[in-house]
Amino acid sequence: MLASLAMTAVVAIAACGNDPSKPKASQGSNNLTVWVDSVRLPVAQAYVKAHPNQHVKIVTFDGDANGATTMQTKIQLWNRTGNGWPDVIFSEQVNDPVWMAQKPFEFAAPLKGLIPGNLLSKWPAASTAQCTVNGTQYCVQDNLAQVVLWFNKKLMDKFGYAVPKTWQQWADLGKKVATEHPGYIVGNIGDSFSHWIYLWGNQCPLEQLQGDKLRINSADAHCTRVAGMLDPLIKNGTVPPLSVFTPDFASKYGGAKDKVLMMPGPSWFAQALFDETLHIPAGQITAAAPLQWENETPVTTGQVGGGPWIISKHSRNLKGAADFVIWATTVFNPTGKAARPGYPAYAPLAEAWLTGLAGNSYFAADPTPALKAAAGQVWTGWNLVTYPDQPVWSNTVVTKLVAGKSLSSLIQPFGDGLAQAAKASGYTVVRQ
Amino acid sequence: MKPPTLSATRAQVTRKRGLRGARGLPFVLPYLPFLLVFGILPMAYALYLAVTNDTSGWVGVGNFTRTFRDYRFLPAFEHILLYTCVWLGSLIVIVVGLALLLHGRASRVSTTFRFLFYIPGALAGASAVLVWLFMLDPGVSPGSFLLRHLLGSHLFVQSIAPGKLPFVFAMIAFWTGAGGWIVVMYGALNTIPYELEEAARIDGAGPLTVALRLKLPMIRKWIAYMTILAFATGTQLFVEPQLVNEASLGLVPDTWSSNQLAYQLAFRYGDFNAAAAVSVDLIAIGLIAAVLIVKRTGLFRTED
Repeated sequence: MLASLAMTAVVAIAACGNDPSKPKASQGSNNLTVWVDSVRLPVAQAYVKAHPNQHVKIVTFDGDANGATTMQTKIQLWNRTGNGWPDVIFSEQVNDPVWMAQKPFEFAAPLKGLIPGNLLSKWPAASTAQCTVNGTQYCVQDNLAQVVLWFNKKLMDKFGYAVPKTWQQWADLGKKVATEHPGYIVGNIGDSFSHWIYLWGNQCPLEQLQGDKLRINSADAHCTRVAGMLDPLIKNGTVPPLSVFTPDFASKYGGAKDKVLMMPGPSWFAQALFDETLHIPAGQITAAAPLQWENETPVTTGQVGGGPWIISKHSRNLKGAADFVIWATTVFNPTGKAARPGYPAYAPLAEAWLTGLAGNSYFAADPTPALKAAAGQVWTGWNLVTYPDQPVWSNTVVTKLVAGKSLSSLIQPFGDGLAQAAKASGYTVVRQ
Repeated sequence: MKPPTLSATRAQVTRKRGLRGARGLPFVLPYLPFLLVFGILPMAYALYLAVTNDTSGWVGVGNFTRTFRDYRFLPAFEHILLYTCVWLGSLIVIVVGLALLLHGRASRVSTTFRFLFYIPGALAGASAVLVWLFMLDPGVSPGSFLLRHLLGSHLFVQSIAPGKLPFVFAMIAFWTGAGGWIVVMYGALNTIPYELEEAARIDGAGPLTVALRLKLPMIRKWIAYMTILAFATGTQLFVEPQLVNEASLGLVPDTWSSNQLAYQLAFRYGDFNAAAAVSVDLIAIGLIAAVLIVKRTGLFRTED
């Protein structure tokens, strides 16, 4: 215990370059320390290249991916030592600004006055809302992560299937695939974020802030009906409880095997997953609009990501930090292989990015109309909270699905797990 | 009333011990500051934190009852209890068994095997776990047929299913830790005078009787020593579940062991007092186990 704590402290201090012989950020106003995940590393490197006069120190970390709490532990340590904070952080965890803005962390700086209002106004309202805590905006999102229906056009044409428009058509097709073309899949449910695809998109009320209370109603029909629809598909193997980022998944369904027929998933699946992770050949994959529940309107969809940029309120170079964030979110937009993986949140940049994507020969058909339509359809009834919900989903649901249990029997334990996590983080929970 | 002769001998013994203590002091002196700074002081600080709140107000056992009621507390302690049982059991039986077997062999054979057993222990903790992450993945593991038939797992997620975890972690710990202990036990066996063994042989004892009736009782204290240390490291399990948590993309909870729970309480919730309470629980468990073992085996008894 002691050894590990000491190690963490040493790593944290070393990583921040807390070397007394070097000038601190306070003295050199163009010193900047930036913490990013590996996906955002090219942005930071490009910024350094474009700004040779800025002294930027880039540190990569896990980005709090899959609900890790790396940044919480780091900020706790920096707060206790009273120095070492980076100036800018990128997190993959869309809810991170919520705790960063509040006690006991109090790390995030309000953006008003740092980033000009005419720029801030060009982020979609829903995205800004996710960055706003108690009425103050603390972050800008790097990308929107709206869920669409990705599908393999080549295979669908070959099998003679029509692209489904509703979840019911999709599920029926899943049953058909299991008998007609066993081995092919129409989705997956083993990721730490799968509940955001299936439950968030279908309006299951598992994270609803109502005044000072948090509503977690896992018994709601919006939750149970989705579980009931998915269970036969999990059982017949067309929606396996495997993560798309595991070697097992790639070897079973990716590459030359080419077994992904359809997959509800976020906008950044585009090339990051199908091309670079699963190595599905070019000219096959494209996107369709988010699935609708029967004929219910309006159509809503889920969100997987929407990673925020956060500026430290402890920064001694707020101007430089803001400049970095503005550049990373509103300017940086390379084309071709180096293109940004996700749908840019800043609207003018999204236009340029979509134009590039429309002309990208990797896709079988232009995926941009579906992505554009879905951008405004993310269900706003799923609020962001201070604790990550993915570990609860992974521990209580995915491990049990692997062991052969039905999703319907796990929805209630999932709600219980979320309620426990919420209470441990200080929320008052309402269960209906 | 004590007879005067007895107290006289006692006084003599005490004087002798005092003299020996004075002579021993220079040997332990270089270690004392470290023990104080990195051992005693943090422990005292943990005790202080455990009975106070974040504004340094006295709360008595408040932190202990609060952490006990935490929904992660009991599962975490259940996990490490099961893990420690599996690990200690296999460690004692297999390490002592192998050491006894080795000691009965010709020296060249035993040297080779001792070296082989020791090799995995040369890997530092975290890197050994990384090796195991590959070993447990049926897709890449050289022992994939064992995983399939013994563990019944065809996928990595099945290898690290919640029910298998205590055994998997025990396997990792055994693989990295047992070799060193085999060498220690072998050394202990070497201290047994050869005449004793020879005398036993002449009396007609076979290799099995020599091993079980002569050698085993004579290395009892080493076994007790190993048990105390292994128990403490077992209950303080941290690296293995922490790395598997990250490698499994969160399938294994980040509060699987009680030490992880203390870490999360301290650095995620900023609740150092609750974390200290969990740490003190762990110290207490380790101390109680150590006292029991010392009493039962007479580890520190010098007059044999």
